[in-house]
Amino acid sequence: MNKHMKVAFMVAPFLAILGYVGADFYNENQAAKTKIIQLVPEGHCDIINQSCVLKSGEFKVNVSDEGGVTEVNSTFPLDSATLFLVDKDNNMTAYPLGMQKSPYYWRSNTQLRSLVSNKGDSYKLRLIAKIKGGQYISEFYTQTTK
Amino acid sequence: MENKETYWSENIRIISICLAIWFVVSFGFGLILVEPLNAIHLGGYKLGFWFAQQGAIYAFLVLIFWYGHKMNELDKKYDEGNK
Repeated sequence: MNKHMKVAFMVAPFLAILGYVGADFYNENQAAKTKIIQLVPEGHCDIINQSCVLKSGEFKVNVSDEGGVTEVNSTFPLDSATLFLVDKDNNMTAYPLGMQKSPYYWRSNTQLRSLVSNKGDSYKLRLIAKIKGGQYISEFYTQTTK
Repeated sequence: MENKETYWSENIRIISICLAIWFVVSFGFGLILVEPLNAIHLGGYKLGFWFAQQGAIYAFLVLIFWYGHKMNELDKKYDEGNK
């Protein structure tokens, strides 16, 4: 190993640390920018029968309803979550969800169960889930299958 | 004196090439272009992710040996010139 190689091996760790610091700085800047990302249903969405998953990459949101309480459970912690029920005339009723136990679970009493209680009933919903540096939005339908 | 200056400028040129490759591989492939590169898969891994985790380090090792080799050549060239 000649002297140049020795110098290069000594300098390389400092460049690696510089790269690590730079990458962290870049990622922090990127995360601070507000991004809007769309969530799409993974297969058929049936909230009443606990079968509705919205997805974008590794981020998943499970929407379910039990006894008139609609719950949103996400794979990453949320800052806030709001569910909208949208009628045939496109009028929305907003339900800001309250955090339960941890920022992974959000819920609220909604009218959804009474609107889609029978087999075949469907209803349009919108969801806005805020997360550090971004907003996940979705417009989807739930349809009761059984 | 002139020899020293040209040796130094050639040395700087090699270092600049190394730093440019270091930047492209670590920041370019591992961060800035990570999304388009992730569309390509390498041995089951997304290419952008692979560069950020392993590829950049392999590239740094190759750079060290390439730098050593180029500087050796430069030393020989200027040693012979001084004789």
